[in-house]
Amino acid sequence: MNPPLALASPANIVKVLSGPGRYGPGQILRRRSTKQSMEAADELAALLARTAAQDREAFAELYRRTSAKLLGIALRILRRRDLADDLLQEIYVKIWERAGDFNASRGSAITWMSTITRNRAIDEIRRKGMVAIDDLPEGFEAAGDSPDPLAGRERSEQLQGLLACLQELDPQKRIIVLLAYYNGTSREALSQRFDTPVPTIKTWLHRSLAQLRQCLKS
Amino acid sequence: MSEPEDIDALAGEYVLGTLDAAERAEVAARRLREPALDEAILAWEYRLAPLCEVTPEVAPEPSIWAGIQARLDARNAGREDPSIADLTQRLKRWKTAAILSGAAAACLAISIVWRETVRPSPAENFVAVLQRDTESPAFIVEVDLRSRLMTVRPVAAGRQPGKSYELWLIHDSLGAPKSLGVVADQGFTVRAALTRYDQSVVEDGTYAITLEQAGGAPDGKPSGAPLWTGKLVQATP
Repeated sequence: MNPPLALASPANIVKVLSGPGRYGPGQILRRRSTKQSMEAADELAALLARTAAQDREAFAELYRRTSAKLLGIALRILRRRDLADDLLQEIYVKIWERAGDFNASRGSAITWMSTITRNRAIDEIRRKGMVAIDDLPEGFEAAGDSPDPLAGRERSEQLQGLLACLQELDPQKRIIVLLAYYNGTSREALSQRFDTPVPTIKTWLHRSLAQLRQCLKS
Repeated sequence: MSEPEDIDALAGEYVLGTLDAAERAEVAARRLREPALDEAILAWEYRLAPLCEVTPEVAPEPSIWAGIQARLDARNAGREDPSIADLTQRLKRWKTAAILSGAAAACLAISIVWRETVRPSPAENFVAVLQRDTESPAFIVEVDLRSRLMTVRPVAAGRQPGKSYELWLIHDSLGAPKSLGVVADQGFTVRAALTRYDQSVVEDGTYAITLEQAGGAPDGKPSGAPLWTGKLVQATP
């Protein structure tokens, strides 16, 4: 198997990171040229700025470039295509209205939009009391119609740094962090899945976060 | 109390998504008045965001973009978005405003709600009676084709503890049945779920109800044969 394809999903990231170690992130991940990714980021930021000025054409282009990513993020968390579709519409209306709030000095445009999407999706599953527990290992049926999203793509330096730091966590704690981030899994659901009391999960999360923060600093 | 470590852990958990609904709401409110918490949240968003790079992309259906444009057009035309969720939010906002600013705001809120409710009655009202045979209507689906707002109400569907009724739209062009969401077993359910479908699909499609686990079919596919089905007919001349 072509090693880069082994990372085709967050599920596989877990597998790779918890594997026997022969697939270290450094071996699998190629660096994306910084120049290239910065150009793309600048273009998105420019599209957002034009969107803030009520430029519908720019907004359409922004949608064309980012909607598949945001739908993927929403679908991971909501699991149901109809809910994710509804949310996606709501989110782009929000982006249209709030594009002026985007501050390029505080992160990239795609981070800003992904954050809005994750926040809304997580609010939605908490509000509905929906629970997504054990979907990292098999989880991608819902997204199965998408072509391999990573084929031929390279990873940013930021992701490589983050993966290297995640690698330093205990395997179980790493999976907990990834389950939470990708699926919006709650402490309660994590507690059930790992048969561990909620306060312990909380302690693990706090330690993992502190460890990650420390590692990313260096 | 608020040692930096606590704030950072709270912010981290907020961004990870592990907090429950009440905690999330609390953090979202606190960050507005606590710059340190807000900073910590932004920092965590930035730290963890690279993980989104590997989330598989899923191309949206063309109807999604059409739906977004329709919502923006509705806003530009000074009319409200047909989505009921937005209407509810708006009502909530106005209620808050009314509480905060007293009678004047309350009057304003009422006038807005009034305008919303008494807009000219739509000429494009369609209705579907979902039934197994002509003797046993179970649900009535009403659709305003202009706003694509759909109202569903049960007529004779019994309550099913631990289960939910889910409404589906079936049409050749759609392939598999598409969920229009879970419908309440009593009272009215109002949805904007049809906004993403072409008018011809809405008009010609078959509407069907299945009984699913509480909260609806988990994989977005009906788990069994429909209990009741029906098609839209024009309700007013």
